[in-house]
Amino acid sequence: MSNLEANAAGRSQVDGATAAFGLAAAITILFNTLLAWVKDAYDPLNTFMASLTGHHWRTHGIADVIVFLVLGFVFLSQGVKLDGVRLAVYLAGSCIIAGGGLALWFVLV
Amino acid sequence: MSDIILFAHPTFGVFGILAAVWLLVEVLNASETNRARIRSASYAVAICIVLAALLGGYWYTVYYGAEKAIIVKGPWPWAHNFVMETKEHLFFIPLILALYLPIVSAQNLARNKASRLVTMTVAAFVVLNGLAIEGGGAIINYGVKVAFVHTGIKGAE
Repeated sequence: MSNLEANAAGRSQVDGATAAFGLAAAITILFNTLLAWVKDAYDPLNTFMASLTGHHWRTHGIADVIVFLVLGFVFLSQGVKLDGVRLAVYLAGSCIIAGGGLALWFVLV
Repeated sequence: MSDIILFAHPTFGVFGILAAVWLLVEVLNASETNRARIRSASYAVAICIVLAALLGGYWYTVYYGAEKAIIVKGPWPWAHNFVMETKEHLFFIPLILALYLPIVSAQNLARNKASRLVTMTVAAFVVLNGLAIEGGGAIINYGVKVAFVHTGIKGAE
């Protein structure tokens, strides 16, 4: 690989922390919608989450932040590598699917 | 006090949206000279969105119950059943994205095209989600108003 090719390859990849926490953010965003669906459909989970912090929404938010941080550090320790376009697509896709999924759920339910 | 919290919540949301637009502009023009501004803008997004979440979350968990009871008995029950239910969970998307921005912007974006693309994508979705959430808040507020108007309470109009 020439220096030029190496530079080009280097530019297309994001650094470790950006890849790890970016992937963690995309997964957390999908997890957030999944948790909203499950707790809305299954009252005992909603009640349990409310019992932990006094309100299910607080527990939901804390769970999201914990999932984001834990996954981020796990991916960082595993040395996850991603190129910028793929990571941007993951993040945009997760936002569109998760946001649309939330809206659709509360329209239908 | 509850009114101050209620108005501070969307205010910090708007500041977060504006900071995300500022970040987008800085990243589009990323160079060695604006590295500090890129970091400042990304931290501004994170701080404003976290404050909007804390203030909105406090108001929602402590005061919203009374307004919810009014909305669901009024002519716009969907302002709670659809808009608020979606908004309260949608809010976590820009929160996670905002927490992520300072991590991406720690890199030298002038030298890394891939990180620039990721930063701009994240900032754009903070703006889009933020605008949707601000609009949702306005609809919920109007849901209370139309409920009062519907009941014929004097002065509600």
